[in-house]
Amino acid sequence: MSTVLEVQGARHRYGATVALDGVDLAVEAGECVALLGPNGAGKTTLVNLAVGLLPVHEGRVRVAGGDPRIAATRRHLGVMQQSTGFPRTLKVGELVAGAAVRAGMRRSAAGQVMAEVGLTDLASRRAGKLSGGQRQRVALAMALVGDPALLILDEPTGGLDVSARRVFWQTLAQRRERGAGVLLTTHLIEESAAVAERVVVLHEGRVLAADRPDALVARLPERTVIARTNLDAQRLRALPGVVSVDTGSELVRLGTRSPEALLRVLLAEDPDLSDLRVEGARLEEAVMSLTDTATMEVTA
Amino acid sequence: MSARVFGVEVLDELRGIMREPTALFFSVVMPVGFFALFVSIFGQQSAGGVSGGTRMLATFGTFGVLSVTLMNPGIGVADDRERGWLRAKQVSAVPLGVTLAAKVAAALPYAVGVLLAMTVAAAATGSLDASLATLLRLGAVLMIGSLPFALLGMAIGFQAGANASAAILNAILMPSAIASGLWMPLEIMPDVIGRIAPFLPTYHLARLGLAQVNGGGVLEHVLVLLATTAVVAAIAAVSYRHARA
Repeated sequence: MSTVLEVQGARHRYGATVALDGVDLAVEAGECVALLGPNGAGKTTLVNLAVGLLPVHEGRVRVAGGDPRIAATRRHLGVMQQSTGFPRTLKVGELVAGAAVRAGMRRSAAGQVMAEVGLTDLASRRAGKLSGGQRQRVALAMALVGDPALLILDEPTGGLDVSARRVFWQTLAQRRERGAGVLLTTHLIEESAAVAERVVVLHEGRVLAADRPDALVARLPERTVIARTNLDAQRLRALPGVVSVDTGSELVRLGTRSPEALLRVLLAEDPDLSDLRVEGARLEEAVMSLTDTATMEVTA
Repeated sequence: MSARVFGVEVLDELRGIMREPTALFFSVVMPVGFFALFVSIFGQQSAGGVSGGTRMLATFGTFGVLSVTLMNPGIGVADDRERGWLRAKQVSAVPLGVTLAAKVAAALPYAVGVLLAMTVAAAATGSLDASLATLLRLGAVLMIGSLPFALLGMAIGFQAGANASAAILNAILMPSAIASGLWMPLEIMPDVIGRIAPFLPTYHLARLGLAQVNGGGVLEHVLVLLATTAVVAAIAAVSYRHARA
């Protein structure tokens, strides 16, 4: 297996502010790595280093073995930005064909990719008349058309409906089977848990954790008790072993490290308790726990 | 690969302009309209053995070429940057210089169109007395000489939004045009403007154009335009690096 993205000891500063502080990261061919972290963690800076928009002040960044600051290296790169505004007068077919030529391919490669992402019928539509989801599909087609070794996807499924999202991930899975590596940044953490082999959690410019999603979740001893109850939030917070209370929906979600003890008390206190279930922690909770702990350590 | 990519970039730019022709009103229709009006009034007045229409073709032609080459690439860069399209180009396998050169190249056919329309207007009023070779030389000089102005437009486009760029570039072009004698001869302007004019690159481009139709020295004007190109290219490079960071 070859490494399509290699970041070693990357440091980057904006003036006196350190945005990345010695980050190591690798994406292998065919692998999907999700880059997670709160706002300001350094995700955008890391992506900008990987696509060659920013210089690395210390360390090393390589895409398919080459320096992404060099245009020729970026032939191996397909980038889907969070929001790309295309020139409104250009047609979908022209945009994708242009991307093919820029990536060193024949214009005819565009037709194949447009069919792959379901854009064939929109080929003659001007970009200014596309919906948000259609624009995302055009961006995906443009990222894929050069048959890149590394795909960098920044919030790629925003604006896509459920069925378009399914097509999106299926398309990506096919590309990964052909050897493309994927670096994904998203705020949809559970989506990344479903598609990524590895998750890298960034916090204040450093890698807090890099592991499989299930391994990260397993680090968290917390469980969630979910139920429909008549008890109010104040009473729920006072129950033994409860570390968090979420009453945001019809069902309450109670975080606890001793679910058995909590269940016994709940059943005793609320005879109308229903829809009861216990879930393990989700990746979102694991990531939040990691970043919260890191913040508390810095504050202390 | 580069020639193929350059071709695609130019084609995309031309498609954009052709499909939204209203954007050309200020850069094409207005200069040609002004020229037609002025040449019909003053075109017959000759000076130094050259008709007013021919001289105005050089001076108004300078304004016409600049209104396209200064404005279009600059506003185009600003628009692309605002949309995120410039960023998409920056992360592609194409050196950005190719994209920017395509923006300038795509503006040139419209600059040629402006000059052609002005030539037709001058001929229609019977005030054109230049040979085809002279006209071709004038066109070539104005096109090549407009390069530093295209770079200036892009330097501003890297920093300001599309609307702001249009306003800034107009605020540069209009006073420069007046103070350089592009609309009216400096001889009929207040003395102070005549003293300011030699400090303006637009003046030197117009003088270079005039030298094609009525003779005269060109070295000083060429040197000033070369120096301007070097300075503006450095500003554009810094501006681009700032925008990229």
